[in-house]
Amino acid sequence: MAGGVVEKPAAHGKPRKHYLNHVRTFGSWLVTLDHKRIAMMYLAAVSFSLLLGGVFAISLRTVLWNGAPALPEDGILGATMEQFYNRMFTLHGAVMVFLFIIPGIPAALGNFILPMQLGTKDLALPRVNLLSWYLYVMGLCFFVAVLVFGGLDTGWTLYPPYSMGGGSQGQHVWMSLIFAYMAVFILGFSSILTGLNFIVTIHKLRPPGMGMYDMPLFLWALYATSLIQVLATPVIGITLGLSLIEHMFHVGIFLPEYGGDPVMYQHFFWFYSHPAVYIMILPAMGVQSEIMGTFTRKHIFGYKAIAWSSIAIAAIGFIVWGHHMFVSGQSPTAGIIFSFLTYLVAIPSAIKVFNWVATMYKGSIDLKTPMIYGLNFIYLFGIGGLTGLFLASISNNVHLHDTYFVIAHFHMVMVGSTVNAFLGGVHYWWPKMTGRMYNETLGRIGALLVFIGFNLAFMPQFVAGTRGMPRRYANYLDEFTVFNQASTIGAYILGSGIGLQVIYLIHSLFKGRKAPDNPWGAASLEWQSESPPDFHNFTKPPIVTGAYDYENWEYESEEAGWRLKQEVIDTGKTLSKVH
Amino acid sequence: MSTGVADHETKHDTLPARPPELAMHFDNMHQQFHSGKLGMWLFLGQELLFFCGLFTAYAVYRGNHQEMFHYAHYFLDTKMGAANTVVLLVSSLTAAWSVRCAMLEQRKGLLITLALTFICAGAFMVVKYFEYAHKLHIGAVWGGGFHVQTADLPPELLAKYPEMTGEKLKDMGVGSFFAIYFCMTGLHGLHVLVGMGLYIWLFIRALKGHFNRRWYGAVDNVALYWHIVDIIWIFLFPLLYLIG
Amino acid sequence: MSEAHAAHDDHHGQLPGTIGHVSPWQTLVKVLVTLLILTVITVAIAQVDLGRLNVVGAIGVACVKASVVTLWFMHLRYDKRFNFFILIGSFALVAWMIGYILFDTMLYQHNVQDYKRDRQAPATP
Repeated sequence: MAGGVVEKPAAHGKPRKHYLNHVRTFGSWLVTLDHKRIAMMYLAAVSFSLLLGGVFAISLRTVLWNGAPALPEDGILGATMEQFYNRMFTLHGAVMVFLFIIPGIPAALGNFILPMQLGTKDLALPRVNLLSWYLYVMGLCFFVAVLVFGGLDTGWTLYPPYSMGGGSQGQHVWMSLIFAYMAVFILGFSSILTGLNFIVTIHKLRPPGMGMYDMPLFLWALYATSLIQVLATPVIGITLGLSLIEHMFHVGIFLPEYGGDPVMYQHFFWFYSHPAVYIMILPAMGVQSEIMGTFTRKHIFGYKAIAWSSIAIAAIGFIVWGHHMFVSGQSPTAGIIFSFLTYLVAIPSAIKVFNWVATMYKGSIDLKTPMIYGLNFIYLFGIGGLTGLFLASISNNVHLHDTYFVIAHFHMVMVGSTVNAFLGGVHYWWPKMTGRMYNETLGRIGALLVFIGFNLAFMPQFVAGTRGMPRRYANYLDEFTVFNQASTIGAYILGSGIGLQVIYLIHSLFKGRKAPDNPWGAASLEWQSESPPDFHNFTKPPIVTGAYDYENWEYESEEAGWRLKQEVIDTGKTLSKVH
Repeated sequence: MSTGVADHETKHDTLPARPPELAMHFDNMHQQFHSGKLGMWLFLGQELLFFCGLFTAYAVYRGNHQEMFHYAHYFLDTKMGAANTVVLLVSSLTAAWSVRCAMLEQRKGLLITLALTFICAGAFMVVKYFEYAHKLHIGAVWGGGFHVQTADLPPELLAKYPEMTGEKLKDMGVGSFFAIYFCMTGLHGLHVLVGMGLYIWLFIRALKGHFNRRWYGAVDNVALYWHIVDIIWIFLFPLLYLIG
Repeated sequence: MSEAHAAHDDHHGQLPGTIGHVSPWQTLVKVLVTLLILTVITVAIAQVDLGRLNVVGAIGVACVKASVVTLWFMHLRYDKRFNFFILIGSFALVAWMIGYILFDTMLYQHNVQDYKRDRQAPATP
């Protein structure tokens, strides 16, 4: 719908057919090959996981208000509060990492947006896409099975020798550990298939008129993410496959009492899990680039620098994993090398931040909800990134290792940056995905609550961490009370901000104002489709415009949205296809 | 490809007719073919890193326990390993040939080469079964479960080191070698089984006459997978059976 | 998407409009014979005790065999350049992972030996 049409057929007579209503049966969703529907199913599933992980987080912070209370004699369900706490932090970590952050932005938002930003009809391999969603759901079910079978207290990293062979927890956890291994193994393949699909799509379905440098930066970020997903994730697959065998048969690969080497497990684990950190942050940076351009109405500054820094982060991600193992028994030589290499990550990360800030310079900044998340992102990612440098130096790390400083650092990056970008992206593309506008005022309040709550929750943890409060304990010394109570209040505020969003976003689905095709004046191709898009994405072939050339669009107050200028429509070329 | 989706075809005035095999989101058969192939290559890259964990475990244990690996390799029968290598190499030839037949639309040749590949894969698994059965029988197994009687030790090992006993080997930690041996060959065997399944699927599709010169991606991609399985065995054979 | 296919369509009785390169059966058989010869060579090398060179020789021959399989059986010689990069990139990562973890484990191995000596008792299942 190039150019935008003021009158929607929806106003009179039959509603317009689009991807949500062209077939309405439940079964048509279950077997759909449409990337938009799969993306919406992913969005529902990852949001469920976010809320599940969030419930664990709130419970943890509640326990930490005063430390674990004493339970009656035998505890509840045969466990003390401390044991419950251990299981909660394990599942909080595992659910958030494997079920929410890793698939969150690529599989939900990326799945929807990637083909549309390329101007194509679908991902290259639609069946693989559906398979990846089913694998995700299977992994989710296995995690639910972990809960049913009594939970885990190993930490999300599942380190041997504590985890394998039953650990300290007796036989009932033996089963739930098997489910956890299966879950992560399966989720890994879901992630691989998504990444594989994205790479193929970007290479093979990119229209002839669009070079790599014409792509929106979100696609560069997804491309870099996908490279990591394809090349790193199989390593966690084999690691957990071997762990499963070790756990069940005691074959002697990781367990020292049978001749195995537990430090090797950590090497294997972090060979995936460090690149996985960039699977979490890179797509968030992509969303951030889109938001910063659109809401400052200014061409993104340093396009190539941002694009290539994504690739650089992906590449460097493979050579720094040992910085998670400075106190594990890794040799000091390896530790020193890893420490030096780790500093390299700061360079491309900083390049991105500088470019976003430079994009804002002299732009006409519009503080819509996504932009507030964008500003949150810059601030929190700045802190999260810089504290990462403290942790990269071995001498600091030995002191700060396994303290709340580490917790605060990676929450700054994973929650402060990735969750902020996820929420920003959901708000940014919500009108396109659902065809409805959310309440802008409530959106801004929600974004501010997230910002305030988040800072209150995690800033005190930096201080508590430097003063020596260790992570993963249900109790603490009295001197840490003030930090923990502030942190708990912050967590509640953060939770209420997210709760508010759930309410008004769901409300908007039914009562929201109909969304214009381009509510923000964004310039990438997906905004030339209708809101919500047609089953084939574009009813008219989109017109080639730069992804950041905002001057091609003008505001149309009648429909409260933006449309392509008439001269662009007249002179522009549509995306041609090779036959 | 995406049947069902392809029914909702939009207008394509420039093309006389879209081939029925062409999914709705592709422009032409070349694009579709190469998309599938790129996907397969990425999957193969993934496979290499999947096996990489096991090769790393092998390297770490071998690097740190040279002596133990030396004794342990006598347990593996070089003749059986070599036979399996030849069988897999031949199956690789037939797999590559099946692609050729599919491209030349030689239906009979395609059916024969697909069947031969399947048979070779089956032969590989039969040999593997005898190897496994023998090891389990004498107790040459993983971890602490290793319990070979001195009388059951391989004759070559006893000939060279007459004083060697099963107990000594167990204390040396030879169980770790068998852990790695069974994991590596077991995972490889699983891949062979998957490949056999895929060749049955291809055979049925070939019987139905599904493939032609522009629509043989499935044959090609399964063959690529089969070659990677072969390549992994090319590395496993010398590392496990030959060097001591 | 359709470039680079015209180059190879002039031989081997390829049907018009075929996608990709058809390998002549003679080439395929030659490749198999090469692979079988290399197998004999690698078995033969292993019979002689060359110390560390045995490992190098075995891996070297295996690499040659793997290259032959990829270049001809897997058509990589005639395929898109990018597929080749994927393979090379994966192999580079495999080498990096094996190399670095081996390097590190050998450096800390003395700690493991100390641990084992302290425990004295052999492992029991």
